[in-house]
Amino acid sequence: MAPLPWDILWNRLIAVADEQAAALIRTALTPAVSEAGDLSAAVFDARGQMLAQAVTGTPGHINSMATAMVHFLDAYPHETLRPGDVLITNDPWLTAGHYHDITIVTPVFHRGRLVGYFGNCCHTADIGGRYFSADAREVYEEGVCIPISRLFVAGAPNEELLRFVRANVRVPDHVVGDLYAQAAANDVGARRLVETLDEFELDDLAELSREILDRSEAAMRDAIRALPDGDYAAEGEFDGFDKPIKLAVTLRVRGDEVLADYAGTSPAAERGINVVLNYTHAYTTYALKTALSPEIPNNSGSFRPVALTAPEGCILNCKRPSAVAARHIVGHFVPSLIFRALAEALPDRVLAESYDALWNAHWHGVRPDGQGFVLVVFNAGGMGARQGADGLSATSFPSGIHGFPVEAIEANAPVVYEARRLRPDSGGPGKWRGGLGQEFVVRPREGARVWLSPFFDRTVYPARGLFGGEPGAPGRFTLDGVEQHPKTTVELPPGSRAVVSLPGGGGYGDPRERDRALVERDVADGYITPEHARSRYGRR
Amino acid sequence: MPQRYRIGVDIGGTFTDVCLVGPDGRLAATAKVRTTPDDPSRAVVDGVRAVADGRGGDVGAVVHATTLITNAIVERRGGRVGLLVTRGFFDTLEIARQHRYDMYDLRLERPAPLVERALRREVDERVLFDGTVERPIDPAEVERLAKELADAGAEAIAICFLHPYANPSHERVAAEATARAAPGRPVSLSWRISGQIREYERMVTTVANAYVQPVAARYLDRLRRGLGAVTPGAGLTIMTSNGGVTGVEAALEAPVRLVESGPAAGALAAAADCAALGLPGLLSFDMGGTTAKACVIVRGPDGEIRPDVTPEIEVARIYRFTKGSGLPLQVPSVELIEIGAGGGSIAWIDRLGRLQVGPESAGAEPGPACYPSSSGAPRSDPDPTVTDADVVLGYVGVEAFLGGRMRLDAAAAERALAVRLGGDPLAAAVRVRTAIDEQMALAFRRHCAERGYDPAERPLYAFGGAGPVHACGVAELLGIRRVIVPPAAGVGSAIGLLSAPPRVDVARTHFLDVTGAGDWAPVDRAYDEMRAETLALLATAGVGAAEVRYEYAADLRFHGQAHQLTVILPAEAFEAASGRRVDLVVGAFERAYARVYGRIPPGVGVQALQWRLVARGATPEPPSHQVASGDAGGATRMRDAWFAGRLVHTPVYRREALPCGEAVAGPVLVEEDASTTVVPPGWRLTLLPTGHLDVVREKE
Repeated sequence: MAPLPWDILWNRLIAVADEQAAALIRTALTPAVSEAGDLSAAVFDARGQMLAQAVTGTPGHINSMATAMVHFLDAYPHETLRPGDVLITNDPWLTAGHYHDITIVTPVFHRGRLVGYFGNCCHTADIGGRYFSADAREVYEEGVCIPISRLFVAGAPNEELLRFVRANVRVPDHVVGDLYAQAAANDVGARRLVETLDEFELDDLAELSREILDRSEAAMRDAIRALPDGDYAAEGEFDGFDKPIKLAVTLRVRGDEVLADYAGTSPAAERGINVVLNYTHAYTTYALKTALSPEIPNNSGSFRPVALTAPEGCILNCKRPSAVAARHIVGHFVPSLIFRALAEALPDRVLAESYDALWNAHWHGVRPDGQGFVLVVFNAGGMGARQGADGLSATSFPSGIHGFPVEAIEANAPVVYEARRLRPDSGGPGKWRGGLGQEFVVRPREGARVWLSPFFDRTVYPARGLFGGEPGAPGRFTLDGVEQHPKTTVELPPGSRAVVSLPGGGGYGDPRERDRALVERDVADGYITPEHARSRYGRR
Repeated sequence: MPQRYRIGVDIGGTFTDVCLVGPDGRLAATAKVRTTPDDPSRAVVDGVRAVADGRGGDVGAVVHATTLITNAIVERRGGRVGLLVTRGFFDTLEIARQHRYDMYDLRLERPAPLVERALRREVDERVLFDGTVERPIDPAEVERLAKELADAGAEAIAICFLHPYANPSHERVAAEATARAAPGRPVSLSWRISGQIREYERMVTTVANAYVQPVAARYLDRLRRGLGAVTPGAGLTIMTSNGGVTGVEAALEAPVRLVESGPAAGALAAAADCAALGLPGLLSFDMGGTTAKACVIVRGPDGEIRPDVTPEIEVARIYRFTKGSGLPLQVPSVELIEIGAGGGSIAWIDRLGRLQVGPESAGAEPGPACYPSSSGAPRSDPDPTVTDADVVLGYVGVEAFLGGRMRLDAAAAERALAVRLGGDPLAAAVRVRTAIDEQMALAFRRHCAERGYDPAERPLYAFGGAGPVHACGVAELLGIRRVIVPPAAGVGSAIGLLSAPPRVDVARTHFLDVTGAGDWAPVDRAYDEMRAETLALLATAGVGAAEVRYEYAADLRFHGQAHQLTVILPAEAFEAASGRRVDLVVGAFERAYARVYGRIPPGVGVQALQWRLVARGATPEPPSHQVASGDAGGATRMRDAWFAGRLVHTPVYRREALPCGEAVAGPVLVEEDASTTVVPPGWRLTLLPTGHLDVVREKE
């Protein structure tokens, strides 16, 4: 028998997942998916192992979906599934960590047998409960939980489930429209997969899956082996909700395996910034992969040599009924923490700390004409500096989202942006400067009522530098000049003005070693002020 | 007026192609001259003089395509631009979309903006989303700022305020003030250049326009003068990205619309051939040395065959052709997919043992391993490329390359494949060949899927040096059963120019709840404006008002979606009573949506964002090709080539020697100066009277 053309087939699977994601981006009704790319799409083998993902989306979704699949298999073993069945859940502890992310899984049948799954996960327009915010004290306030269930049964919509969902959300047509879009995207992938299996006269994915996963695993093991055995530790403090929280990680590297141990991390918070272990896992594997082996495709094989443990009930392994809606704030700190731990060992492969926390702003309220509105806007601060290069300004990290045009925001919400600009002096000083944060100034339009739910952090604890690099500027949120809580919903009264200043990234290396020409250029460009150049870079 | 000669001129990276079509509509002469990068108009004038050959006075029209504009952006050789923006939005060009185009590469960089920070100024003015003026503009302030920019060295001024599509008055006032304060500098208004929502994309488009304006002005001026001496009575028109042609005045005002001029000409050539051959559509496939391009050619609602046009494109990508790593331009353009792989692409093995092809290319220098070095000395450890694999597999002959002017070294190709990819060179070549064909097929499949086309439903139209070599392999992977290779592919684009109609695309942003009780009056006003604007622009290309035909379209979406579909709408939707309008618009949208995505979400309203108008003059009769000689010379010789898992003794024809109209069964190879058509077993080749090679897969 001819050897399996596994590398050809591997590329096929990646292309299939891309096609699946493209279908979802173009048909989703919620702008978080269609405009900001807040989604993931992937193909799995019959054992639920992720073989390929779309080269789009955001790591929190992709990697948490990879670990979620086992729960679907437990709930619906092969023999219970038929062609046309589609599964759904938004259980935070099984999937992406909050109710707003809905995962849809479709089994694929070929020659009468279940050969794999397509899954995708994206942010829904609404999930009931409170408006999307960090305010809740228990997860039960944050909306409706859909346990793993059938969304379609043998091709027919599960009307009882849909009625139940419709009855619990504010914009039922949008929410259900998106569920259809998610199911349709999986169908696109499934059709293409079956065509490919037919073309290569394969009964199933088993042999291909072995090639892909074993090769990826081996490459990841090689990358880990290049690190000397030892414990690499880092910790950091963050704003939290009412009091600061501490995150701690020790990477225990032994041969070709690594265990990420989060012992020493603060207990869960009383409000909705807690992270489920699945989501912690997602950003742990993401960070290790970007630092160790960015070119290895992301799949279950490359996760195998990575294990993690976090104390039960800590903020990175919270338990029900901890509130979790804003879990990305804390979860997104994980990569910078891991980079800090690896900095001594891999100085040319890591970043100084970045703004990290996504800084999304959820708007809701009433337009002047009496109609309600909701809008989630993503915003990016500064990324950390690198060996040999400044950090990127106003660039999303670690998430993979896009920002929104101001014109589109003003078209969708009754607000006026007075400015959206880079923040001078916000990039952490260093031989290589941290990226600049951005600042936006917003007020409500006359006659509108407008609430803002902020998802902000690093307002007290900034993004730290590496190797003598200094921290970036912390973030700030003020209303008419008065400091606001960075995570509590607030109304913008008529005539008021909110200023949201995003953190800059940390610097890399001693700022006094920065090339003088670069300092002059930064002054000329206004990225730093002359005073900052004098006090931080020693410019005369 | 009597019929006169027409000339098409296409400037490429290496050659400038020129063709002359006689009053009888037949191709009368062609010329290929070396492109003159320091002053491209020189090669154009030389080429035109060569084909006109004393008939210059009888030439009525010169149609021209150029890559000058794209190259100016890619190579950053444009002018110094001054930019005026709304107060608070100084950094829009840098904040951009806030996106990392590669999720895993921590070393990535973002493309640098086209305007340096020292040449940007904020104007204290503000228009709101609905067109309300919140802060009136002060012309005196603009005059002061424009003067500062001019004094600081700005050669052209771009103006991009917020929401000008809702109320352009501030941009207009600023343009007048700028003209007073900085006379002689061209001014680009975002409302005129784009007119669409999304301030970053619109600003980049406006700035890019200003950036290339000095380059375009210098070039077009020289060209006009040069041609004036050779073809004194000829009108000059230029191909725009949308596959139409425009007059020089319009090109000078909006040169950014020429950004895809060259590729559009290639697509137009494919469309003209498609019509001439009586086919309903094509998938055009142009594979050169470093990249490959594909384009879907379809029959429009008016029955005319033309390339698909997209409202926005991205140019000058800085990272492996990755989406998001370039500059987005709101310029209606022939919709091409560009793949970073061609004949010169390097094959290598990655850390996981996977064979990869590209995106690195050996280029023309040093070129594939089989190319002789320019010094004549043996090359040490060259990279194996796609062309090397094609040589080892016997598809590309070592003697016939470039008409025999360059002898290829097959042994060097074998060595490079064996050294870098391991094992038997033949097996390595097969892997490279399989990988590159796969890569093309996957990219085309995705491109088609995103647009709701089945790639198998149209013949593949293959040109470029490597296109005919790989066409049947790619076709098999896509389920395509017919491949067409045009004659004289070398000057195909120049010929395509002569079949392009004058065309202008314009758009206005106006949000309308189509299914709600929206007010259509602003839409009617927008179309009144757009019709007047397009008439004026077409007049510069010599089109009279009576000849102009309009096509209406809108960008529509279900309420809440951020992505929209551009849907062509029946003209009567803009004349009918409002109730009927809603039905016509929603009906057209739902049909288009269902074709692309399948399911219609239940109970969701339809919203319009952009209103578009395409205005076109008459399409000229495409030139007819010379009928091939039909000299049945038979196969010139035999060569071993790889088919169906083994080396097969395969007949090799010179293209000129093919018998006309007689079917030849594959495997067979057809050589011409710049390419080889590879016909595998199971395919049948016929030379058509039009000079095209028609390769058809036999029924299984």
